[in-house]
Amino acid sequence: MMTKRRVTLTVNGEHVEPLVEANALLVNVLREELQLTGTKYCCGTGQCGGCTVLVNGEPILSCLTLAVAVDGADILTIEGVAKPDGSLDPIQEAFLDHGAVQCGFCTPGMILMAKDLLAHDPSPSEERIREHLRGNLCRCTGYHRIVKAIGSCGQ
Amino acid sequence: MNDDRFEVIGRVTRRQDGHAMVTGRQLYSSDISLPNMLQARVLRSPYPHARIAAIDTSEAERLGAVCITPEDVPRVKYNERQVSVPAKTYRDRTVLPDKVRHVGQGVVAVAARTEALADRALDALDVEFESLPAVFDPHEAMRDGAPQLHDAVLLGETVLPIERNIACYREAVEGDVARGLEEADLVVENEFTTGRAYHGQLESKAVVCRPEADGGITVWATAQSIHNTRQLLGSLFDIPLSKINVQRVPIGGSFGSSIQMNSSVAVCVALALKAQKSVKLVLTREEDMYDHCKYPSNIHLTYGVKRDGTLTAGYLKTVVDIGGHNIQAYPLLGCMAGWFVSLYRLPHLKFEGTAVYTNKAPACAMQGYGNPQVTFAVESMMDTIAEELDIDPIDVRLKNYVGLGETFWGQGPTVRSVIRSCGVEEMLLKGKAMVGWEGRGSSTSKTGRFRRGIGVGRGFHTSGTGAPTPGEVIDYSTAMVKINEDGSVDCLTALMCHGGGTLDAGAKMVAEELGVPLDRVGISPSNTRSTGYDVCTHATRGVYCGGASLLRAAQDVKKILFDFASRIIDVNPDALKVRPDTNRGQGVVCLPGAPAKRITVAEVAKTAQIKGWGSIIAVVSHRQVNCPPCFVVNFVEVEVDTATGQIRPMRAVAAVDAGTVINPDLAAGQLEGGLCRGIGLALLEDTTYKPDTGELTCGGYLTDYKVYTAQDMPSLEDLSTFFADTYEPSGPFGAKGVGEAANNATAGAVANAIYNAVGIRLTEAPITPERVLSALTRDAEQLQQGR
Repeated sequence: MMTKRRVTLTVNGEHVEPLVEANALLVNVLREELQLTGTKYCCGTGQCGGCTVLVNGEPILSCLTLAVAVDGADILTIEGVAKPDGSLDPIQEAFLDHGAVQCGFCTPGMILMAKDLLAHDPSPSEERIREHLRGNLCRCTGYHRIVKAIGSCGQ
Repeated sequence: MNDDRFEVIGRVTRRQDGHAMVTGRQLYSSDISLPNMLQARVLRSPYPHARIAAIDTSEAERLGAVCITPEDVPRVKYNERQVSVPAKTYRDRTVLPDKVRHVGQGVVAVAARTEALADRALDALDVEFESLPAVFDPHEAMRDGAPQLHDAVLLGETVLPIERNIACYREAVEGDVARGLEEADLVVENEFTTGRAYHGQLESKAVVCRPEADGGITVWATAQSIHNTRQLLGSLFDIPLSKINVQRVPIGGSFGSSIQMNSSVAVCVALALKAQKSVKLVLTREEDMYDHCKYPSNIHLTYGVKRDGTLTAGYLKTVVDIGGHNIQAYPLLGCMAGWFVSLYRLPHLKFEGTAVYTNKAPACAMQGYGNPQVTFAVESMMDTIAEELDIDPIDVRLKNYVGLGETFWGQGPTVRSVIRSCGVEEMLLKGKAMVGWEGRGSSTSKTGRFRRGIGVGRGFHTSGTGAPTPGEVIDYSTAMVKINEDGSVDCLTALMCHGGGTLDAGAKMVAEELGVPLDRVGISPSNTRSTGYDVCTHATRGVYCGGASLLRAAQDVKKILFDFASRIIDVNPDALKVRPDTNRGQGVVCLPGAPAKRITVAEVAKTAQIKGWGSIIAVVSHRQVNCPPCFVVNFVEVEVDTATGQIRPMRAVAAVDAGTVINPDLAAGQLEGGLCRGIGLALLEDTTYKPDTGELTCGGYLTDYKVYTAQDMPSLEDLSTFFADTYEPSGPFGAKGVGEAANNATAGAVANAIYNAVGIRLTEAPITPERVLSALTRDAEQLQQGR
């Protein structure tokens, strides 16, 4: 039996200390231990970006990241993007206003990538947006409205 | 785009399920978690063709896993897809097989407390395979002495022997094609292929099954039809349908991948029944890629044409490599005939289709159901004809397209209807102006390493499979609409939304009909116990058929509403109207011109409850007696790098004739997404197999399979969409479908754009850089020899 280890995380502003196995992936800890199922499991091998979360402000693929490797980190998942009072982040509003959501499965990863981009570049060019999203696959939209929505958030 | 005829139809509104999706609250099958739930894994065949000689599960069971083998599951032969009538359903599979017919086919399944334990149990299984010779090419499979995948299958209840691996054959003839070709001034023929593209829906298929205390089961599955899933599970496991509840769960993309009840559903149910515990089975991406793919095509196409561009005859012969199991090849061939016949008028025509088993993943419907394949060939040929006769390609199309008042074979030879709305000409001419068609130049005028070309493709899809008579395919939807005591409305249906906004469209139709503000119309969660039958959300039928059932129910509800209102305000019900009152956030029943004769919908409903008149509720099962074509036109500009063979889509105009557009933003989104997948089919996507092992060349990995990313698509400025201004008389509020149509014309447009860029007709899709380079080299050699 593998030894479990307690890790300390701040997830969406909340302090948690899940007990995880040494080989537990962050995506599984988020989804199963913390019941934050907004982070999606799509390919499990870092090919599609669906499981993207922000760790200390940087996007990472939670399906390729061991939970123990992010011990002490501050994590933002899609559940923490809206304000605590439930009002939506401008990026979430933009996704709704521009019809950027179809099946919704890639949406959490896309929104977190957009948050990361806008944090570093408040008014990104279209080219920059497309380049930033290159690792996040969407099968429904052809990306058009996702790019448009993110662009509309630029200052 | 706002349509003054309507309050909410045609207006841009936020989708109702959008808030849950952008906040991570939307729960898909893979998000369902139940107390005391086991995790399942499936041992899959490493061989493309093998008999299972022995299975030993003792070690896995010693680890605490529950195991099922072919011995533990029902022996019933079934077909995953339950859309065709039983007599036309080919049945060739069991829950777990005695013989595997493709790499990746499930053989034994285990369930254990954790996924890690299930994985260990999987490793502990001992399965002895007896490898058999395999065949991967459909033409080889039809030769004498080729490895035989199936000796016999069931067609309905009849045993059907299988010879030369031919799963089924279908023919359609009208007139005399030989005579038609003789009457032609020009005969053109060519051969076209398209690949076995993978659906690539972002959510890999998942299922959760909970055995219930009464001997029944509750199932949460990635499925496009909860009712067909229930009926199939009932017959497989001999459980009364009243004890099977299949929940409608949001789906993380579909594109046809779950029209059938996926094989993992029956496996999960068998495990749960044996374990008497809830079981969850989520496919890995690799497993998902071995589960299904698009029907590939190999098409030989001949047209006869008069000097003025009028077609005299058409003959399409196709061989379809269906893989290890026949999911829906018979209706597929019928549809392929229908697509062929309904694109352009053919006084004499012939269609021959043969579906062939090979040792590959079973092919199933994927956006277009044979339509992008046929349209790729036909639209390429229209340009060839135009070139040969020196006519503008758009004029050839305008001269020959099947349009208003003509017969449309919606779902093949047995489903015919008359076209009553058509925006083809409008879209061709408007698109032509938008894309700058006149300035595109001919390929001979283009030089240099990077060459650009513009191509056109047109097409359509059917809106559902309805018809005046019962056909081979079942088609109807059931809906319940109920006005609540506060004037809000509940809509209950088994209809699915795959992302395109089908349920939003349904809510809008109900809001429009009942005059209730849209935010007071809710789509209820649904399951098989609470809803009447709905065949499946497939065949681009969601809005046209499913929406129509909701509208019908709303119309019935409105009658009751007016009846009750007339009792209160003393007005003849026939004189009443209902309109939204935005100030009150309510629907108001009124007599126009008489301000005193007004009452809110809520007051009517509440009064009816207090006085004991009853609930304002109606249930309707509705079959559309038509399946009108939703036409599409694509213009695509590509850039060909003649040094590397790379092709980049630079610009596109996509248009659809969807009748009245219910959700403009979402419909445009369908066009954009369809275009992206269509370009993928044209240039990028195929699942190829290693000839020695029968494994996928890409190994089941998306990075090696490759789909387009945000960087590969035309810029915002370079991609335009528009809608034809039409009204479909048989559609709810004049609407038709969009869905599959969105990608049907694209591959043809891309191939035609490549021709316009470099003057070479590429007929094998995906048109990869290798194929482009080899065609360019061949062309250069021919030119040199010509000199």
